[in-house]
Amino acid sequence: MRRAGWLALGVFVVTVPWLLSAAVPRQQRYILHVLIFTAIVAALALSYDLVVGHVGSLSLAHPAFFGIGAYTAAILATRAGWPFLAGVLGAVIAAALVAAMVGVPLFRLAEHAFAVGTLGLALVTSVVANNWVEVTRGPLCVTGIPKPRLGPLAITTLPAFYWLALAALVAVALFYRGLTTFRLGRAFHAVRDNEPLAGAAGVDPLKYRLLAFTLAAAIAGGIGALYAHYLSVMCPEEMTVSLTVNLLVIVFLGGVGSLRGVLLGAVLFTALPEVLRLAPTWRLVIYGGLLLLVVIRSPGGLESLLRRTAGAR
Amino acid sequence: MALLEVRGLVKRFLGVTAVDHVDLAVEPGELVSLIGPNGSGKTTLFNCVTGYLAADGGRVTFRGHDLTGAPPHRVARLGVSRTFQQVSVFGRLSALDNLLVFLQQHQEERLLARLLRTPGLRRLEAVAVERARRLLDLVGLGAKAEAPAGSLSYGQRKLLAFAGALMPDPELLLLDEPAAAVNPTMINQMKEHILALHREGKTVVLVEHNMDVVMDISERVVVLDHGQKIAEGPPEAIRRDPRVVEAYFGR
Repeated sequence: MRRAGWLALGVFVVTVPWLLSAAVPRQQRYILHVLIFTAIVAALALSYDLVVGHVGSLSLAHPAFFGIGAYTAAILATRAGWPFLAGVLGAVIAAALVAAMVGVPLFRLAEHAFAVGTLGLALVTSVVANNWVEVTRGPLCVTGIPKPRLGPLAITTLPAFYWLALAALVAVALFYRGLTTFRLGRAFHAVRDNEPLAGAAGVDPLKYRLLAFTLAAAIAGGIGALYAHYLSVMCPEEMTVSLTVNLLVIVFLGGVGSLRGVLLGAVLFTALPEVLRLAPTWRLVIYGGLLLLVVIRSPGGLESLLRRTAGAR
Repeated sequence: MALLEVRGLVKRFLGVTAVDHVDLAVEPGELVSLIGPNGSGKTTLFNCVTGYLAADGGRVTFRGHDLTGAPPHRVARLGVSRTFQQVSVFGRLSALDNLLVFLQQHQEERLLARLLRTPGLRRLEAVAVERARRLLDLVGLGAKAEAPAGSLSYGQRKLLAFAGALMPDPELLLLDEPAAAVNPTMINQMKEHILALHREGKTVVLVEHNMDVVMDISERVVVLDHGQKIAEGPPEAIRRDPRVVEAYFGR
């Protein structure tokens, strides 16, 4: 039954472009755009949760890694003519390298200082993107980023890009599951729950924190590359602190440390503001009200709400 | 050669000398108690030995390995297990997972194999799970295996932490007040567990305030006062030692 449910969901998600063109042909492009954006944000939120939810370090630097990946891929594609996948790989490596380098000094800081330090990294990266005009073109943005090509397959249409984004999300979700369960997950969670005791158990807290931080940055870099190729433009505004706020809302109100919770949060808190465009005047008021409602009624996020209703049944 | 050897250990906190040139040698298979009034430096000594505090002077060796300056996870992997005075568990992990954490780092630490869950690793995991279940049964927590450790009672968490320290089958066990703040039944239980370990040939060092426990089970007692070792010997001799009586009750 469970398996059948997942299969049905999978079939539904994959066939969405056709369903849309049959049901609401005039809205198809817009809805697909929202869905692609949702998939990208969901993958990014999952990578963010590796650090925030699983090793318990409140990093605010995630937009920096997303941006570093996006700019790396954008510049490699437009200036050096690198193919799509090579550019994604470059983006992943660039983001991971920066994370590993800044991670060593950052993780020497205690909790709150760590958060402030990562916020500093996010701000610095954003300033560099705005002002290093020779490389990033600053506020003029990197333009003309080509559409992705996977060998003979050119991703030019919206449905094709939707499937690509979906495939990326599935890959990230599987990687997330592999990292957060079994022995790796256990070591991450030990560090999160009780760092001194983790040491006594033979777990090197710094090593596992750094591992989660670097892998999360690598994923964020790859997602950034995908995003840049999708928009075909990369601007400094794409990596501002407001992205951190979105990710925090998704992860904490969805369900910190939970695959299902984060996915649910990403869908709800990305799609919801779009749906609310139907009532433009009250849009942000309703959105804010709903956020408050979740925080008050279920401080553990939507995931804990789900679990409670499942337990009550 | 002694299993654990502490030589001239010094630890200062802002001018207060918490551990003042302490020497301590523990032979394989011994059951030694470390006693002394509050603030006499017992826990500080433990923390210096296990890498939680950097000593200001002196050396610590374990089986010939120099532990001076080694971080806690390295000390643990060399075969030194410790418990903490404040009950300490991984609150959001299940009781079973709590124990598994303590063994997995000793068995292997290959990141890629862990991600891919290789068959070899699954076999190691099965062995670890079996050992963890046995230990949970031993401390009477068999029925709580799947419960989050944070939901257990104080005494149960204390037993869980004790079982965790036993998971890697350590050569040296440092127990920091295992009988503090638990009920008399559990104190007896804990005594039995420690004696059983002793009979198996494990080396145990105990920090304890409960004199009944100390005098009952120790082979040798070491007394600290103001960071200095003031006496050392079999329990009967320590009980009569005038310096010890003075340290505890004043002149």
